[in-house]
Amino acid sequence: MTIVAGKTGARQRLRPLLRKIWEHRADYAYVLPAIAVMLIVIAYPIYYTIELSFFNTPPGLQLRDKIFIGVDNYTAILTSPVFWKVTSNTLIWTLASTFIAFVLGFGCALALHRDFIGRGVLRAILIIPWVISAVAASYIWKWIYHSDFGIIGAVLVGLGLADRPPNFIDSVSTVLPSLIVVNIWREFPFAMIMMMAGLQTVPDQLLRAAKVDGANAWQRFWHVTFPHLRNVSTVTILLLAVANFNSFIIPWIMTGGGPSNASHIWITHIYELAFGRQRWGVASAYSVLLFFILMTLGYFYVRALSGNDRKDGSA
Amino acid sequence: MTRITLGGAVLRGTVSTALVASLMSAPALGAAPVDLSKWSPEYVRSIAGTQDFDTAADCGKVTPLDYKGRLTFWYQGVFEGDPDLLRQYYKDFFETFRKTYPNIQLEEQALTYNDLLDKFRTALLGNAAPMAVRLQILGGTEFAAKGYLEPLKPEDVGYSTEDFWPGAMKAVTWDGVTYGIPTNNETMAFIWNADIFKRAGLDPDKAPATWEDVVKYSKQIHDKLGIAGYGLVARKNAGNTPYRFMPQLWAYGGGVFDEATANPTYKEIELASPQSKAALQASYDMYVRDKSVPVSALTNQQADNQPLFLAGQLGMMISHPSDYNVMLDLQKKATGTDKDKAQTVIDNMRYGLIPTGPDGKRAVVFGGSNIHILKPEYVEGGKVDEPAAKAIICMWTSPEWSLKMAYAGSNPGNLNGFKTKWMKERLESIKFLDVTTSMLPYGIPFPALPQSPEIMNIIVPDMLQNALTGAMTVDQAADDAAKKVKDLMGGGL
Repeated sequence: MTIVAGKTGARQRLRPLLRKIWEHRADYAYVLPAIAVMLIVIAYPIYYTIELSFFNTPPGLQLRDKIFIGVDNYTAILTSPVFWKVTSNTLIWTLASTFIAFVLGFGCALALHRDFIGRGVLRAILIIPWVISAVAASYIWKWIYHSDFGIIGAVLVGLGLADRPPNFIDSVSTVLPSLIVVNIWREFPFAMIMMMAGLQTVPDQLLRAAKVDGANAWQRFWHVTFPHLRNVSTVTILLLAVANFNSFIIPWIMTGGGPSNASHIWITHIYELAFGRQRWGVASAYSVLLFFILMTLGYFYVRALSGNDRKDGSA
Repeated sequence: MTRITLGGAVLRGTVSTALVASLMSAPALGAAPVDLSKWSPEYVRSIAGTQDFDTAADCGKVTPLDYKGRLTFWYQGVFEGDPDLLRQYYKDFFETFRKTYPNIQLEEQALTYNDLLDKFRTALLGNAAPMAVRLQILGGTEFAAKGYLEPLKPEDVGYSTEDFWPGAMKAVTWDGVTYGIPTNNETMAFIWNADIFKRAGLDPDKAPATWEDVVKYSKQIHDKLGIAGYGLVARKNAGNTPYRFMPQLWAYGGGVFDEATANPTYKEIELASPQSKAALQASYDMYVRDKSVPVSALTNQQADNQPLFLAGQLGMMISHPSDYNVMLDLQKKATGTDKDKAQTVIDNMRYGLIPTGPDGKRAVVFGGSNIHILKPEYVEGGKVDEPAAKAIICMWTSPEWSLKMAYAGSNPGNLNGFKTKWMKERLESIKFLDVTTSMLPYGIPFPALPQSPEIMNIIVPDMLQNALTGAMTVDQAADDAAKKVKDLMGGGL
């Protein structure tokens, strides 16, 4: 009796849903080509990467001759010291780059929000690192950092501040911070633009009212400006974090992940595993793990955006 | 000046050929049809310009000159460290090919040494490879073992297997079948700045005899002049690293396997042997203990050493004779006093044999490139225009073009290239060519294994980086590398 009642209930719930789909059949037809393309270019590669992560692909065999090994790739990754080294590098890279680029960008946005002579020129100059090609920037920075004839070293030695050029990218202890500086230099203009856009939305009358009520500059920032920027800050941080998790160009061009894996982050390591060492299976397993991490970040990103929408709707 | 050193080198090379021929010939030769013992600079001079070749006529017999077809072709081309002269010859080659075969629609693509393998592997995975490809010597067995290549031997394009270096033929042979034809083969030499030697209190006309001398000289140059002594290269994923470290490793009696022995089996891994560790220790001593080499060695390649050398900031390095032409090209671009400084360096540039190990062993990588035809199923469109592919292969591996395309740097893949008038002209115009010829008998090919690219481009540089950065001790780095090779050979993850 209960089963029959359950089935009837389900059928009753399904009927209006199907009716709704039928009523919107034209809408679905419009989006069908896009969905089909998405399935081909996104869903299939994801499926294939997951499938490949269960196979061994030795360098002497073609990919079609891959050997099924179950979850061995995942076990190998999680028990490998390189994995933990690369993961720690990735976390340091992502957190430091994201946080500092955001703070720096926010600071610049606040400074440029005031009206002063030359503001437009300064804004244009600060945007340059973001619009310059990452490849070109990496080569320029490699030259700036060069351990034997880099500009920084030459200036320091020339000024008598150092006996020999500092070692930025040929040392395991300094390479990652040096690359993070380049990444921050590239990314802070993005945060600046986002926050400048956010600052435009802070109601002027609220700031004036707070001033009339005797609030000082910090109090006005903390109690009026910042709450209005919370959502745009969340989105900016999430976008920066996702971009940093996926970074490739700067570390690959400047150091190739070296020396001694000290600047390998997930993506460069995956690239080397796949294209340098042809470990397609292990590289795929890494990619699957990274996919889930990024999906989690994506979930928070979408939630932040939805939060914005809800608030905008209720306002 | 150098000629004296070269003369000595030549003498030593000639006298020792009986002994060293076995070093080079045995792994490479088997029943060697090429008598390597006669390949002295004198012999090369004696045969230069003795025979004329008509490339178009010869290749016309392989693929008729009016043949109509289409060819996609990728090749390891010139890179930033090559001289302008070589660039011009590459340009000339493709112009001549188009004139010789006006009805073949050629779509060629040049890639640098460090990019070619990655791109080619990726293209193969998507069945989007070109019909023909010219790869570095390391790549031949990898792709042959995987079944991507069509069998191809010199006879298929009108030449004889005996026209090519046996060591090079081994690099295109897998499981007894030949899958390609060598285009050029190289043995590098040792370069030093006589002026720097003199100022550092060293004999300006004498190259370091042993690797221990290199370590000593490097320190002396650094301590006295405050500049880098030896141009160490330890970058990962760069061909320059194995080409400079393996001669050191072999000279000390080490190796990845037994590739430096008479009959290599590639069964025993030698990277953790005391001899290999001694070679690694020498690099460690220069980089860490003495700080006498460029600090940027871990991220640099030879192209970065060249400007250092030209600026008089580097005393010694390993490279091709082409580096002399590179220096001339770079000097032309210099301005003001830099131009004069560069000229001083060029005037003081000396070439000699690569130093020996503690037991008198001398070694150099027998490098080069090969040309191959792909199987249709891996090619974009699923078709290979074989006559068109053979036409370009015949031309590139001809005595004329295999010499011209190696003009400033290495040796022609086709030994008949040495007999052409261009070789005679080359001997007169390219300085220090004799040294690289003198190094030929000491050449050791990389192991002819599909795993070689990973071993040479990743595992060996990793070992160097681990030791030089202090991430591991010399012993640990060598043991770690040996384990990685063992895992790799065992098909591990």
